Amino acid sequence: MVSAMENAVNAKSHLPVFQYFKNIYLLVVSILEGMAVTMSYLFRRPITIQYPYKMEESIDTVLPPQFRGILEVDLPYCIACLRCANTCPIDCIAIDLEKNAETKERFITRFDIDISKCMFCGLCVEGCSTGAIHHTKIFSGTSHYIENLVLEFVDTPVRPFKKPKSMEDIPFDKSGKIAKNKLKDFFSPPEFVIDHRKGEKYTRRVR
Amino acid sequence: MSNSIKKEDDLKHLKPLTSPFEEEMMLNMGPQHPSTHGVLNFLVVTDGEVMHQARPNIGYLHRGIEKLAEMTPYTGFMPYMDRVDYLAAMFANQAFAMAVERLAGIEVPERAEYLRVIACELNRIASHLIATGALGLDLGAITPFLHWIREREFINDLMEELCGARLTYNYMRIGGVYADIPSGLPDKILRFLDHFEPIVDEYNRLLTNNEIFVRRLADVAVITPIDAVNFGLVGPNLRGSGIEIDLRKILGYSAYPNFDFEVPLGKGFRGTQGDCYDRYMVRMLEMKESCKIIRQAIENLPAGEHRAKVKRKLKVKENEFYSRIESARGEMGVYLISDGTDKPYRLKIKTGSFTAMSIVEKISQGLMIADLVALIGSLDIVAPEVDR
Repeated sequence: MVSAMENAVNAKSHLPVFQYFKNIYLLVVSILEGMAVTMSYLFRRPITIQYPYKMEESIDTVLPPQFRGILEVDLPYCIACLRCANTCPIDCIAIDLEKNAETKERFITRFDIDISKCMFCGLCVEGCSTGAIHHTKIFSGTSHYIENLVLEFVDTPVRPFKKPKSMEDIPFDKSGKIAKNKLKDFFSPPEFVIDHRKGEKYTRRVR
Repeated sequence: MSNSIKKEDDLKHLKPLTSPFEEEMMLNMGPQHPSTHGVLNFLVVTDGEVMHQARPNIGYLHRGIEKLAEMTPYTGFMPYMDRVDYLAAMFANQAFAMAVERLAGIEVPERAEYLRVIACELNRIASHLIATGALGLDLGAITPFLHWIREREFINDLMEELCGARLTYNYMRIGGVYADIPSGLPDKILRFLDHFEPIVDEYNRLLTNNEIFVRRLADVAVITPIDAVNFGLVGPNLRGSGIEIDLRKILGYSAYPNFDFEVPLGKGFRGTQGDCYDRYMVRMLEMKESCKIIRQAIENLPAGEHRAKVKRKLKVKENEFYSRIESARGEMGVYLISDGTDKPYRLKIKTGSFTAMSIVEKISQGLMIADLVALIGSLDIVAPEVDR
């Protein structure tokens, strides 16, 4: 029926009066058509999620396993090859190694990742031969102080890991427990380190 | 006192206009204007509603990506290429990867090429969703944009599953792709396409055939085929003027020669050829073509390696190459000069949005200010891609 009306209107469309009414007709029809589409969504289920208040599943199950979240280091499995620090395009990973003069053993004394600089590209994870450095599913780490976003993974100096021949035996916990412990509260002030030589307070931002 | 002002005003009114430019004034549109798609500035010379000139003023989003390339190794530069065009990061990834592969003589496995095509075409749909939706948004149609954002969210989820990120994918690597496609993902993509194709028709009812929307775009800012070529337009903007240039067809790079698809052209769907509506329609039709390509690619996905073996510290012999691909915004080219070290000597990125900016000044003469918004929206300008 609509097409018949349209044909009738088109036939006389050269007259300005008919053009005027045709315009009004087309406008009303197209608005009603749009309204009909919108109306149909009134009776469908909403696709929005009331994050974080009403979640059907927890966020860990929603995110895919490849998700590139905040980095963490499983330090006992780090072989201290410095490959991650070298591949990082913006140098947000800082690793310090110290050699004991007597026993000639190497120790990892610093493994800092500056999350405020990290762009979550995943190139460090790709280069890691043991999988010690990996992404977690944590994506929120806001802090009042930018210094809090430097995650320091070394508490006490550790020996580098010696890689066995079969790598499948190593169990990896990628749930993000380590990084979660390192992330500080939003308002907690940064811990200053005192440089004894200069007598200044400074924070360990990776530069 | 009030009398004197009145007299002056009266005189001004009575004075005959010797030239049409007498009342003109210069206005700044942007950089914080909602319809300039990022930080862009237009110096608009107007006389009332009608513009005499609109000169784009670019450079607000310049981040020096080309200079950064000279300090970053080839393997570590891929994340920066994501930032060239954040709405279609896959294409920048691929253009750079292709340039380095060609210079270093690396052969990409066929499976990787297919995975690249799938990722790129998904990305093309996502980019066109923003382009067509934001065009409606600029002209006052808010609802269709939200519908398109909803569909794009599904693509983002697929991308997240494919490469771990939603916007800055960093999926391509020199010699292949970052990871093989997860086992359940091809079915998910097909399910999304089954859901998406009817939605396009619904969207046509909502916006494309809406008479107000058509009148705002049809016969507005017509770019003739000659102008389009002379100003170096690329991609959907060029095809909107009826010129059939699609690098996927012409160059047949990656795995594109294996697929059967059409190149939609603007032919004056509701007005003259090369108007804003044609450019809009070309993008709408291209989305359906992309769906076709993805279906074929998933069906014929070959088995094998997803990544060729590349040295960890890649050194490229002294040479130069210009690789170009068909991005969502037209030709994206990477001109790479290597000098034998592990870092590029010079990298030049050519983007589609930048060339599209050049024609704004010519086409905008005699347009209304409100139509400038339609013109910018139909050219699909993304500010970071203009400045890089």
